[in-house]
Amino acid sequence: MMPLPSPETSLAERVAFSFDEILATDPGLEPLIANGVRCHGGFDSAGAYHSPRTLHRAPAIRAWQARLAAEGADLVTIARDLLPPQYPNVAQAKLLLRAGVRDPIVRALTIIAIVEGFGAVIRDVRVPELRALVREPIDGTALAHLDRGLFEAHARDEAGHRNEGGHKQMWEAARDLALENPRVPTDVLMRILGSGGRAVPRRRSFPQLDETLEGLISTLSNVLVIEVFAAGTFDWGDRLLSDPEVSAAPEHAGAMVRCIRSDETPHVEYLRTALSELRARTLRTVDGGTISGKSVVDALLHRTLYVLTTSRPREQRADTRTSVAHAMRGAGAPGRLLEEFDALETPFAPPTRTGFDPASGTEGPAA
Amino acid sequence: MRRATRLRRSARIARAGVALWLLYKPPDYLRRALRLPAPPRRERTHERAARVMLRTALDLRGVVIKVCQVMATRSDVFPPPFVHVLKQLHDAVPPQPFERIGTAVERELGRPLDAVFSEFERTPLASASLAQVHRARLRDGRAVAVKVQYPDIEEIVRTDLENIRRGCQIYERLDPQPLELLPLLTELTSHLALELDFRREADSADRVREIFRDDPSVVVPKMYREWSTPRVLTMELVDGIKVTDLDGLRRAGLDPGDVVQELMRIFVRMILAAGFFQADPHPGNLFVRRNRQIVLMDFGLSKELPEGFGLGLFELMFSMMTLNEAAMIRAFRELGFATKTGDPAPFLEIARRMMRRSDTGRFEGEFTEEMTDELFEAVRENPVVRVPSDFVLVGRAFSLLSGIAHTLGHRANVLAAMGARS
Repeated sequence: MMPLPSPETSLAERVAFSFDEILATDPGLEPLIANGVRCHGGFDSAGAYHSPRTLHRAPAIRAWQARLAAEGADLVTIARDLLPPQYPNVAQAKLLLRAGVRDPIVRALTIIAIVEGFGAVIRDVRVPELRALVREPIDGTALAHLDRGLFEAHARDEAGHRNEGGHKQMWEAARDLALENPRVPTDVLMRILGSGGRAVPRRRSFPQLDETLEGLISTLSNVLVIEVFAAGTFDWGDRLLSDPEVSAAPEHAGAMVRCIRSDETPHVEYLRTALSELRARTLRTVDGGTISGKSVVDALLHRTLYVLTTSRPREQRADTRTSVAHAMRGAGAPGRLLEEFDALETPFAPPTRTGFDPASGTEGPAA
Repeated sequence: MRRATRLRRSARIARAGVALWLLYKPPDYLRRALRLPAPPRRERTHERAARVMLRTALDLRGVVIKVCQVMATRSDVFPPPFVHVLKQLHDAVPPQPFERIGTAVERELGRPLDAVFSEFERTPLASASLAQVHRARLRDGRAVAVKVQYPDIEEIVRTDLENIRRGCQIYERLDPQPLELLPLLTELTSHLALELDFRREADSADRVREIFRDDPSVVVPKMYREWSTPRVLTMELVDGIKVTDLDGLRRAGLDPGDVVQELMRIFVRMILAAGFFQADPHPGNLFVRRNRQIVLMDFGLSKELPEGFGLGLFELMFSMMTLNEAAMIRAFRELGFATKTGDPAPFLEIARRMMRRSDTGRFEGEFTEEMTDELFEAVRENPVVRVPSDFVLVGRAFSLLSGIAHTLGHRANVLAAMGARS
């Protein structure tokens, strides 16, 4: 009788996984309880935190990336220097908290929690029949697993599932631990719903592509950039909520943010893997022609990065500064406080290049 | 109001009370005397009782119609036949003769009708329990809608509420397990006092317009206060296609799916974000213009929600979407739900029953009419649970919007309107 292969060997070689395998969590972990709320993931006997649903997902992503490297394809990388600074930054946030101006920080943490929860939207992203729309095979890739567990795992990580809280509940716990169950400003949902009228429909950049495929690539690009940029939010949350000067539970609140950060790693990695796989392939157009995946992915990444490094930070900064100034009105010497607040701001010049070619792709001849 | 009219109204309400008593109690006494088991459901009796109320409402109008309209929205308290039969009162209130209305307008504005209006249509655009609306034109040429309170309605409301309260008190004394009607009546009394002051309705319209001040896709008619009083409300006449007129929308080149999404976005913004909303989004109050603007009408039933209600409701929906039962219990409590024993199990039962009635077997952001009915039926069957009245109004509003969406062949997803689902 042949001996069974060790799990390490089999997982390293495997590139195809079932839906349930992608969603599987390490067994026997001590559950993570955050401010009385049971959350996902858990701790092993050595006290190390294990992210949820990574028993097979983590080695799967590594295997897909290794395969990509073996094929000579690059992994998409978003330069960290594109990341706009957090506003308010840690020094500004500490200034506000020391001055008793808590609403802007409580609001920011609550919005982060709710937006994380909205990440569940990814489970509803439509995945077209990729085998028909991509010329090269996609078996054994991250692409083939998007709707076979990867999106569902991502959704559950962000929003929680059944009696396990996800990142939404973990951010809320971090906020409540650090700031001692603060009153949540009532305008939080108004801020999220935003101002202005109806949403403008998404503009198509590649009308020659199947619409669902373009939507999928566009979503993958958007979510990847948001996930990479979230690193700034995690640094900010970790440093602020771990600081005993302003946090009532620096150890627990900071640890909570670090757990969330480690859970986000597989998200970034599967998204960049899937986009890189597309980038290394050829896409079929609706008229029977082809277009290089690289040109489509790069153009859509450029578009997202351009918006998220130019107009978006400007708008968010203006909106946040207005609400900070409003919240300061109840504090002593609000004029001087606002001056001090402004002086602590991190300067940011939007980058001139995103690192991706904005030009739309070269089309191949019609088949 | 003349003494004879007062007596007639009291007698008519008493007659209805006796008819209801005869429908329910003698068969009960007889059954107990013969030691027969209680019937599992009394749909036919409820239906006949509801028809007694419907006839009484159409005869006496005014506050009796209002009471019946409220009953039709409280499926958490009243059995389905009441809701079904009395629902027709939302559309079928006969108008009052123009002579009475015209005189009332002149009395209120303190001048002849033609001193204010160059035109005043005799046939009303709509008639409801407390007032009717006429199309008119101001002397400066502006087209307006004039909402006129029925003459004597305040007196009628006072008399009828007294009679109904007395009837409820007698009923609660006689019935060993009465429905809790008096709290409902107290709530209705305070609502009516507000609804009878049209200045407040004008204030509510202005407040909703302010919520959408940066949003040109929402239209709230202007209120002309110089030609308004507590009993007459003159407002801008805004035309549009009735929101459920599918053919009309298509003829105007409008996408019904877009209309549904817009409606949901507008109500989500009012309910969850602003905490103040037009609480009666039935199709007669919602219109769409050719340029895709949504017109909101009739702010008589507008509601200020308690602080934190929007977040609480969002948390409830979110926990139902993620099947997180511990979070559901927290959210139900934050919204003001309560059980007499403190046992949270009924909350979960309610949520599970609602989810079972959704199209997909799980909550995905849509409050269908079936789900709302199931919610209220679960509450009614479980007497230990109390539902905050704000939740009832909001649930009814989303259920009405879901009904409109289904008429237009689409789904009304609250979480999608917030950006939580695609």
